[in-house]
Amino acid sequence: MRPEFVWRVAARDLLSTLRDTRTLLGTVLIPLILIPALMLGMPLLLGQFIGGQAQEKQKVGVIGTLPPALQAELERGSSSQGMTLSGVELVPLEVDTPEAARQAVQAEEVDAVIRVTSPLPQQEGDAPAAVQVFAKLNSLAAQTGALGKVEAAIENYNQALAARRLEAAGLSEDDLSPVTLDPQDAATAQEASSGQLAFLIPLLMLNFILSGAMATALDSTAGEKERGTLESLLVSPVRRAEVVAGKLLATALSALVAALFSVLGFLGTGLIAGALLLRGGMQAELSQAFGGQLTLGGGSFSGLLLSAVGAAVLISALLIALSIYARSYKEAQTYVTPLSLLIVVPALFLQFNDGFSAAFYAVPLFGSMLSVMDAVTGTLKWPQLWLSLGANLLAALLLGALALRSFSREEVIFRN
Amino acid sequence: MNPPALAPTDALLDLRNLSKRYGTFTALDGVTLSVEGGQVFGLLGPNGAGKTTLLRILATLLRPTGGTAAVAGLDVTRQPDAVRQHIGVVNGGMGLPARLTGREILHSFAGFYGLSREQAEQRIAELDAALDLGRTLDTRAGEYSTGMRQKVTIARAVIQDPAVLILDEAASGLDIFARRALLDWVAAARRPGRLTLYSTHVMSEVEEVCDRVAVLHGGRLLAEGTQLELLARTGAQTLEQAFFRLVEQDGAAHAS
Repeated sequence: MRPEFVWRVAARDLLSTLRDTRTLLGTVLIPLILIPALMLGMPLLLGQFIGGQAQEKQKVGVIGTLPPALQAELERGSSSQGMTLSGVELVPLEVDTPEAARQAVQAEEVDAVIRVTSPLPQQEGDAPAAVQVFAKLNSLAAQTGALGKVEAAIENYNQALAARRLEAAGLSEDDLSPVTLDPQDAATAQEASSGQLAFLIPLLMLNFILSGAMATALDSTAGEKERGTLESLLVSPVRRAEVVAGKLLATALSALVAALFSVLGFLGTGLIAGALLLRGGMQAELSQAFGGQLTLGGGSFSGLLLSAVGAAVLISALLIALSIYARSYKEAQTYVTPLSLLIVVPALFLQFNDGFSAAFYAVPLFGSMLSVMDAVTGTLKWPQLWLSLGANLLAALLLGALALRSFSREEVIFRN
Repeated sequence: MNPPALAPTDALLDLRNLSKRYGTFTALDGVTLSVEGGQVFGLLGPNGAGKTTLLRILATLLRPTGGTAAVAGLDVTRQPDAVRQHIGVVNGGMGLPARLTGREILHSFAGFYGLSREQAEQRIAELDAALDLGRTLDTRAGEYSTGMRQKVTIARAVIQDPAVLILDEAASGLDIFARRALLDWVAAARRPGRLTLYSTHVMSEVEEVCDRVAVLHGGRLLAEGTQLELLARTGAQTLEQAFFRLVEQDGAAHAS
């Protein structure tokens, strides 16, 4: 195989890819925009929504009589985690049945209804009693608004009553919890900052590798067949192995560019998340949980890049081996679209990252995901990374051989 | 680029009992033919006669199932890489990379034939003069008219000045001006040491540009010679008449 011929074939395909504005946007801009939007957009929106519910004064209907102290608790605002929580507006209802209470919520006359069916305890020694609360229990608005505030007020009211009862008995609240739990985070700073949803990073990164590779792979195989340009390449002195290697190189480079920009997207997201954490509040907590605070040291970055190389070469070989069978670009798209499942399904198992032995790193593609996850969480294990890289390259070699066989078969080349 | 180790009188195309079968279908049936350089050699036959199969074997895209084929003294089955150094191919279905300019396309193919950048520029200048490439050189192929695309396709095929030029239904789909330009160029490109194989089903094109003709039908070679030889052999007045008489004779021979 002559490297200069391989490069000439690759350069021809890369130049063609570079001039395709849509592909270029998909490879470069989309990761830079989509990753921050996915990693931070949802927590920001969620945070804004929850914050809005906390500050809004919801209407709560009341059937029956509430103790004055509980009424005051419900109407009073409070402050939690730097956020002001407004109280609720209590609206007496002239109905009495549970159906009427449900109807009032469903008709959106009120956000929730408190129905008191028996006198509620007002002082220590009073008999316990139940109070019904009607609300849309699965609604996030109810959970973070009226229902949440009613639950919090009743909890506070109970605590106050219990505290008075304990005090009368010569006890304190601490006597109820002789042992308190004080959890300490043993994770590294990078593990902690990568968030509970850090498993999304390999999923997104490999998806960008797939989409970055797809345009070049399909265009340089099925697309070339469709346009009649493959035949002119195959009657030139370039050997079949050089054609396949050149197309593989062009595809893998496109995929790596996509991977690189996805890493930049994650790092950019980390910067924004860092700024949010400085501001504090609900949005900061959520963005932390979404793993938006990615920071990478030199070792982790190298590990991430090597994992991306392995995944990019394997995905490129797979795409080329498949798409050369297609008669047209569109037909090739139908062949390769299900490949995203090869990324999505294994990525779901990444949530159980601690349970994977070294053998899992030898599974092509999945090993790369594990290594990316390790790099992100600062737990990179170099022997496992080399194992995953070797497994990917071996699988890519086999697929490359299959692609070479296809490029030499008349029924594949002239299947148009 | 002249083929190595060939005397001027050696055949540039040498077929011995060449066959190609697809399952039970016979696309080429024992074709034997020897053709020297310095001429435009026509392959005449209707669709399905086996012309494209024959030319694809010569271009190393298909492997024969029987017999041998040598191009410029090189066996197409055993020396395909070397054969491709000495051939240029244009067929009606060939396209160009839409996002590359004519110059970029020609440079990339010049590189495949081992031409340096300077040699490629010089060759492109020669082809520009011969084919009037003009603004096609710096325009992306996706913006070409049919005629522009045909010029660059031909320039790509002859960038290394091949010993054997294969034109397979190269005029199909061309408008009247582009077709005229192609036929003029084929006639002008005739030179000692080059064999141009011109495959078509259009009689008038053969009459105009071909020095010798092989008539193919049903995968068999029915006759080969100059146009006058074919007319004399069949007693026909025109090449079209000669073609039909050859097909009738072949049908009768196979019926008996």
